[in-house]
Amino acid sequence: MADKEATIYILDLGSSMADCHNGRIESDLDWSMRYVWDKISTTVAASRKTWNVGVIGVKTDDTDNPLDSQDGGEGYEHISVLQELGPMTMGSLTALRDSVKTSNTQIGDAISAIVLAVEMIEKFTKKLKYNRRIVLVTDGEAPIDNSDIDDIAQKIKRSGIQLTVLLDRGVDFDDSEFGFKEEDKSGIKEQNEAILKDLVEKCNGLYGTIAEAISELETPRVKSVKPYKTYDGLLTLGDPSVHEDAMSINVERYFKTHKATVPPASRVVMKTESSTNPSSVADGDGMQGVEPMPSFSAVKDARTYKVNDPDAPGGKRDVDRDNLAKGYEYGRTAVHISESDYNITKIETTKSFSIVGFIYEEKYEPFLNMGGTCMTVAQRFNDAAALKLSSLIHSLHELESYAVARIVTKDGKEPALILLAPHIEPDFECLYDVPLPFAEDVRNYPFPHLHKVITVQGNTITENHRNLPSLELQQAMDDYVDAMDISSWEKDDEGARTMEYAAVEDLFSPPLHRINQVIRHRATYPTQPIPPTPAILLKYANPPEDLVAKARSDLEDLIDKASVKKGKISLATTVIMLSTNIRLVPPKAQGRKAKGDKPRPISGLDIDALLKQPENKRAQISPDKAIPEFKQKVEIADNQADIEDAMKQMGAIIRGIVTKSFSDQDYERAVEHIGVMKETAIDYEYPDLFNKFMVDFKSRLLSGEFGGNRRELWWRIKSVKLGLIDSNASEPSKVTPEEAAAVSKTLSETLFLRYTADI
Amino acid sequence: MIMVDRWNPERRDEEEEEDEEDEFNETHYKAQKDALIFAIQVSDSMLQPPPKSEDKKANQDSATLTALKCAYQVMQQRIISNPKDMISIVLFGTEKTKVTDIKLPDSHCYLLTDLEVPAADDVKNLRGLVEEGEGADEILVPSKQPADMVMLLRLVLHLFQTRAPNFGSRRLFIITDNDDPCAGMKKNPSWDPAVRAKDIHDHGCTIELFPISHGDSKFDTSKFYDDIIYHDPVLDETNPGRVAPAKSHDGLNLLNSLVSNINSRQTPKRACFSRMPFEIGPGLTISVKGYNIIQKQAPARSCYIWLEDERPQVAVGETARLAEDSARTVEKFEVKKAYKFGSEYVYFTDEEQKSIKQFGNPCIRIIGFKDRSLLRFWASIKKSTYIFPSEDGYVGSIRVFTALWQKLLKSRKVGVAWHIARKNGNPQLVAVIPSRATSDEKSGTQYIPAGLWLYPIPFTDDVRDGPEIGKVIRTTNALTDRMNKVVQQLQLPGGAYNPAKYPNPALQWHYKILQALALEDVVPEQPEDATVPKYRAIHKRCGGYIQEWSQVADDVLGQIQEQKKIKREFEADNEDEPRPPKKARGTTTKDKNASEDGLSNAELRQRYDAGTLTKLTVAELRGAMNSRGLDTKGLKKDLVERLERWVEDNA
Repeated sequence: MADKEATIYILDLGSSMADCHNGRIESDLDWSMRYVWDKISTTVAASRKTWNVGVIGVKTDDTDNPLDSQDGGEGYEHISVLQELGPMTMGSLTALRDSVKTSNTQIGDAISAIVLAVEMIEKFTKKLKYNRRIVLVTDGEAPIDNSDIDDIAQKIKRSGIQLTVLLDRGVDFDDSEFGFKEEDKSGIKEQNEAILKDLVEKCNGLYGTIAEAISELETPRVKSVKPYKTYDGLLTLGDPSVHEDAMSINVERYFKTHKATVPPASRVVMKTESSTNPSSVADGDGMQGVEPMPSFSAVKDARTYKVNDPDAPGGKRDVDRDNLAKGYEYGRTAVHISESDYNITKIETTKSFSIVGFIYEEKYEPFLNMGGTCMTVAQRFNDAAALKLSSLIHSLHELESYAVARIVTKDGKEPALILLAPHIEPDFECLYDVPLPFAEDVRNYPFPHLHKVITVQGNTITENHRNLPSLELQQAMDDYVDAMDISSWEKDDEGARTMEYAAVEDLFSPPLHRINQVIRHRATYPTQPIPPTPAILLKYANPPEDLVAKARSDLEDLIDKASVKKGKISLATTVIMLSTNIRLVPPKAQGRKAKGDKPRPISGLDIDALLKQPENKRAQISPDKAIPEFKQKVEIADNQADIEDAMKQMGAIIRGIVTKSFSDQDYERAVEHIGVMKETAIDYEYPDLFNKFMVDFKSRLLSGEFGGNRRELWWRIKSVKLGLIDSNASEPSKVTPEEAAAVSKTLSETLFLRYTADI
Repeated sequence: MIMVDRWNPERRDEEEEEDEEDEFNETHYKAQKDALIFAIQVSDSMLQPPPKSEDKKANQDSATLTALKCAYQVMQQRIISNPKDMISIVLFGTEKTKVTDIKLPDSHCYLLTDLEVPAADDVKNLRGLVEEGEGADEILVPSKQPADMVMLLRLVLHLFQTRAPNFGSRRLFIITDNDDPCAGMKKNPSWDPAVRAKDIHDHGCTIELFPISHGDSKFDTSKFYDDIIYHDPVLDETNPGRVAPAKSHDGLNLLNSLVSNINSRQTPKRACFSRMPFEIGPGLTISVKGYNIIQKQAPARSCYIWLEDERPQVAVGETARLAEDSARTVEKFEVKKAYKFGSEYVYFTDEEQKSIKQFGNPCIRIIGFKDRSLLRFWASIKKSTYIFPSEDGYVGSIRVFTALWQKLLKSRKVGVAWHIARKNGNPQLVAVIPSRATSDEKSGTQYIPAGLWLYPIPFTDDVRDGPEIGKVIRTTNALTDRMNKVVQQLQLPGGAYNPAKYPNPALQWHYKILQALALEDVVPEQPEDATVPKYRAIHKRCGGYIQEWSQVADDVLGQIQEQKKIKREFEADNEDEPRPPKKARGTTTKDKNASEDGLSNAELRQRYDAGTLTKLTVAELRGAMNSRGLDTKGLKKDLVERLERWVEDNA
């Protein structure tokens, strides 16, 4: 069970807190509140009913606290309870944000506020188990009464409250990192600091500066998760139920690594007017002028089911979910499985953890790991198990071996194979394990050799080939890799480079902490833009600068020897000369159709020459084999007119496919044809020919010219990004990326025509 | 595994989220599906059974039948591994002609299985042919005149065009022993087979040849096949050379080599990213492609089936969005993304959303190199991605990549890199680990290609705390020595783990049952499970050693307990005693006093005997059970029952 918490923040709202110091443009209060808001919003985000927060203001204009009205309530003036102890919600956060404002007074005793906070906590928590905390944030500019310090400290200690005092502009820190020696410090302040420090020392509290606290916020907080047990029972070698001499050890297995979840975004819609609940606005005091956070409602999915029915309009018919049976697909055959047989395809297993055999450490590669790690330890308070497991751990360690084991974590669960490795520390031993791949999990993808080249003719080349590193390149690479070693690049406390750089402990998950940061920020400051990403999350995005500087000459040498060039290899620079429009086509970085580069028969047969034979020439593209014939027609085109003609014919063929398509049957085919057409238009730099087709095609589609509602097809085209060719994709295009996107998006015919009038 | 079918309407939501994912893929409009046509030659020599062999196990199948068996195996496998992919089998050179909806009279092509996602009936028919020889007399009869390659290629193009439009991968596997099928034709200027082959290639399909040679005869590809099989300088960077002929000395051998040849090409290679910048140092970038060589495969999800029509069919689901408060249907444009904060939502505009997720463009950026030993065994979080260089983007990538690969192997180092796999993707720190070539003797992973791997390193947020652990009880040298004997005796073959030996039993069983149901076969009783340890062999090889070990363990335990007793007497109380070992062995066991986690064994026993276990509070029960590793869920009476059982067995 999560611990219960009661935390009271005491905030100094004196008029002096409105000033700005140390070159900041924020007031001292706003600055200090950065820390407090962060803490409070973390509580809100956790949404725990047992985490209670109270807030007291000191040096407030008014006085509003229970002690003031009591007998002898002297010294409690200008102290207000801004929020009673209780769970934090977004609503109370909004209300609080409004009441935390600097006042016009400098009177109010911080020590009295502490006494008040202690009272509040005691009353609230009674004698129950709570984590009790008081956090005081002040600039220490107002007189405080130190007469009862000893008693108060005693009381704080007795109640088990942890007191933290955070001074705005602390002075006792000569530490260069945080210390601002305040030259014009007032006498009162000096005195107050001494009093507060004394109090903190007497009740074993914490004393620090806001600057320090804020800098701590930068280091992301790692949420600790309770150990999760994945298995407990016997670890066996052999089968104890059959063979007397089988080994069995009582063990427990826990997660060692497990992907921390990044808060997911939910899909929401704005609440409709009628459903907005007016009662959600708190008491009404001071809420005027507060812009309410837009109110959202979650989005649910409702699923409907359709089956093919040639007689139904559109070829599909709705069916009721309740009339459907459950089953699986075997190939394209639907295999129905009745409710009672539902587990028939599940393998029957019993909980077990059994060693299959042993392998050598050096014969295993970590990139075979299928996922996160678990740790296996002996059952608690079981000396026999601990001793036996220890002998296995040490044996594996001595023999530099790993164990392969089969584990079924619960009856009926799928069996898994895991690899167990020994781990020994002075006060701790365990077996770590990672999941192993099964036969089906490893794909057989053949790749050519890296250290030798086999030519088309079947000869093996091991040196002097553009794909093989020269000796000089290899040497330069060796030197560079050695120079960039970070095995001990991180500085230790003494500033010597002895620690591993980028060790796991130092790696914070950027997406996780970034999202938490912006959510908290947005909840606290709804009107402010999102803050920049903290540097600590981007620390490992680039190599350490000082190391790069050190390795500079090795890197320059490597770059020189590598002589890598951006762009794609081009065996023959292509010059396409067109009779009507003579242009030099520059070899493009990604052009796919450079002549020397395109696929050819292994024999080297001149296929272009073959296609140019009169009997192979295709004036008309046949709709049956439109794609190859279109490509070939363009490939051997002599002039622009030929290409234009090919594009025109292809367009007509595509329109034919769509018109004839029964429901969405031929949409994939249409998409493929459009894709080929677009690619070709880009490769041969005729974006306008394609764009003209596309604009015309879409307007016909929207007007229903292709027989019925074909919008689904447009959706498809858009989703696979087959809209207009913009000037990013092909330079000669007159369409900007924004225009292309707009044309893709709009489904309204009139709007569409307006967009495309000048294309 | 289930390939996420990106163009499937059901998947729209996810797809929109990962809008920019395919930024790096050139043919982004193509569906990530594969269509495979087996073209198997039928001729006298292909139907000739192999010469008699001494070996009793030798198969007497002809080359054609072997090829069909191979296709049958592939079909069964692919239903499991790639349920959306299509397979077809065409026999060419048959006496009978059978083609659908295209006019190819007397083509002597027999369309045995049409190009589609295989149905149960297809599997059944094929099995009938290869196992029972059903219809073999009719179908496997060679035509009088030689097979017509032009007809075959026309049929294949037709199938690819109409059955598999817009597939990302379409391949024709030709299995034949005839290296010159067009011997009779003149290579005239308009040589038809070459033009037909060009059509197939221009349609985005590839042809692969799986030659068979009989005895000592050579299969000479230059006679014909080099004219129809293409060499793509761009693709071939990542493709190995062509397939060597399978020899038909005896049947078994032929099947094995054919199966392994085809398996090596079976799965179409799909890059998970291409043209990825790999920044080795500031100012030195090369390009690589990434492949998911390791990929968890799980049974396909269940689906809903409509049974009212004559043939059962899968109902396709569609999602409508409803607002939770008012249950009104919501249009797509209305839907916003927000984060739950406490019980409320915090909202960001689309632009803000984008900028939150923005950690830079896709890349692999080396930030330094480390000794391999610094890669801790436990620092594992998810599967790795294989990368291979490509000249596509930066010329010289392959040689630089190779130099890096060799250096990392030589010095036993790994790179550490910042990796963003796709636009707007999350960054991950990865170790860049080299793998050895399969031909390398030192390699323990013969089934893995040489190259580099991106091995994700966990963030500190992903690391969990372990349970609280008491004082370590450590083994003695004598005891470890006994265990060493056991470990040394039970090495897996070659001292390495070979995944190929361990099919996933749950996955296999799932499909075996489905297949039996679909084909209306008898449902098998017992699953095959290669992952179950070989208990008999373990017992035979190590039974004695384990007993010895167990004996020594008991002795050591006795000593430990003795020491503890002395210590205990010394300290008067606060004793701590282990539970007796599993096999009760007369060693006197002392009970520990109530430790921080509750009751001692003796106390439990007393209470059990007196029947007062029920008097304990649930919290006390849980405490006592927790420390003994018992399940603490359920009602009080369950807890008491469970604890009673434990006391009976243990205390």
